Amino acid sequence: MGAPSAPAGVADPQRAWQNWTLNCQGCHRIDGSGDAQTAPSLAGIVAQFLLVPGGREYLARVPGVATSPFSDADLAELLNWMLWRFDAADLPADFKPYTAEEMHALRAAPLRLEANAQRTALLETLKRQRSP
Amino acid sequence: MAEIDRLTEKLVRGLASRTSRRSLFGLLGGFVAGAATLPLLPVAKGAEHTNPADPTSGKTPPLPSGNPQDPGDQRSCDYWRYCAVDGSLCTCYGGTVNSCPPGAEMSPITWIGTCRNPADERNYIISYNDCCGGVPWGRCNCQNNNGDRPVVRPQSSNEVTWCFGTQSQSYTCTVAIILGVAIDQGKK
Repeated sequence: MGAPSAPAGVADPQRAWQNWTLNCQGCHRIDGSGDAQTAPSLAGIVAQFLLVPGGREYLARVPGVATSPFSDADLAELLNWMLWRFDAADLPADFKPYTAEEMHALRAAPLRLEANAQRTALLETLKRQRSP
Repeated sequence: MAEIDRLTEKLVRGLASRTSRRSLFGLLGGFVAGAATLPLLPVAKGAEHTNPADPTSGKTPPLPSGNPQDPGDQRSCDYWRYCAVDGSLCTCYGGTVNSCPPGAEMSPITWIGTCRNPADERNYIISYNDCCGGVPWGRCNCQNNNGDRPVVRPQSSNEVTWCFGTQSQSYTCTVAIILGVAIDQGKK
């Protein structure tokens, strides 16, 4: 199954790109490569969090997402766009796009200093899942 | 309870009468009270508008783009792309509006804003990459703040020196690279 050719759950890709560029790209970098000090990498990895328990929630609760200046609807659209833009190949076949309601609930409890530790733990679970 | 109060008062008065305000104790007290806190982010830009160490500060001829769709002087703070520049212009250091001067490295971590181009009345998304590790900043200083947010939201503040991800964290100048046309979404 190949990567989807268009993002699911994205009503306006131009708007999603603009929101990403103005508010996320500056730190996550234009190619989503990120780094350990400023903002973590997205390219080739971000959709993999959807494959482990707690990963979907994690993506909506990281500080850069949960505390961003967007409406719930714009934020859902942005997250859906970002997953497709930087890691379409890893999107599960049954991926259900984020919704405004889901964002509203998840961003109410943003992760703070514990975000990095959670990222590490989720990646560990992913690794174990892949090579039992 | 009154006994403890009396003893404490005696102790504090004794201490106050024996230490001057300039003593180390006073300084430490200032730190504890937060009165002498150090900034956690390198917020340096905008504090001065000239660098006395650089005698060529501000003394440069105008630099037009040569493109009528991109009007104005690229060495002037009024140039349309500089609507949110807080720092020195790379065009006054031998760089261009899109590239760093020789010896300075462009930071991949940037502040991004939007500015209106008077030639076509459209808003463009501009990336203000800092160039780092070259000669000290100071020439052609501009402090424009369109879209800037206070440092309580650091990722949206243009006063932070964005020299992260480069060899050197010492700031030289800022470029203004067009990333695309902005669609109107109202203010955030």
